[in-house]
Amino acid sequence: MAFPKIIATIAGGFIFPFLIRLVWGKLVENFGPIGGWLAAGFIVGTTWTLNHGVGLIYQSGGAWIDMAWAAGTGLFVASALSGDDVGKGLSMVLNAIIGGILGGFILYCLYV
Amino acid sequence: MKKIGSILGYAIAGIFVMSVWGAFVETYGIGGGWFSGFIIISVMWFLNHYIGLIANEGAAVDMALGIGITGTMRDVFLKGTQAGIESLPTLACVIIGGIIGGSMAVAIEKMWAEKNKA
Repeated sequence: MAFPKIIATIAGGFIFPFLIRLVWGKLVENFGPIGGWLAAGFIVGTTWTLNHGVGLIYQSGGAWIDMAWAAGTGLFVASALSGDDVGKGLSMVLNAIIGGILGGFILYCLYV
Repeated sequence: MKKIGSILGYAIAGIFVMSVWGAFVETYGIGGGWFSGFIIISVMWFLNHYIGLIANEGAAVDMALGIGITGTMRDVFLKGTQAGIESLPTLACVIIGGIIGGSMAVAIEKMWAEKNKA
């Protein structure tokens, strides 16, 4: 993986949890649950366009690395830094791993 | 049940994103990708984090983690572990960027909180 691709990929990872953490909650505060629909389009949809649509995140291998990885890890660290319980959070990480493997296996059954 | 609900929440979000999203992109190009964010993430967020299918305990584990793992594991199941190993550099960069981004957002929140106090 060449150096410019490393910079681009780190930048792509940076932007996604940064926007979610600062903007999503404010949209929901202002607009209620509809704020979540706005956030889905204008945070996730628009950031997808940057990271995967035009490809700021470079794929070094054949297994898809989605910008969701950046949101999952970045938001967890942000939550921990603002004082939330890391131990309890880690047991939820285990649920996410089980759910992710289950989802991946079901999609394997779809595409195989 | 709380654990099963959470696992289901992560898996369902991952399944939608890692199948329907790509189909919209193939059919409608980049606009299909933007639209996928709007129609999939909205209702998945509402289900998982607003109504609360995914339990909210301790430090937040967003449905995004389940989505990310689903996409990568889908291809590891389909293409083998070698594909996964070759993707590790990207994974490392994305996670490093994500951690810096999340930390920076918290630092900015704290700066705003200080400013509002003053």
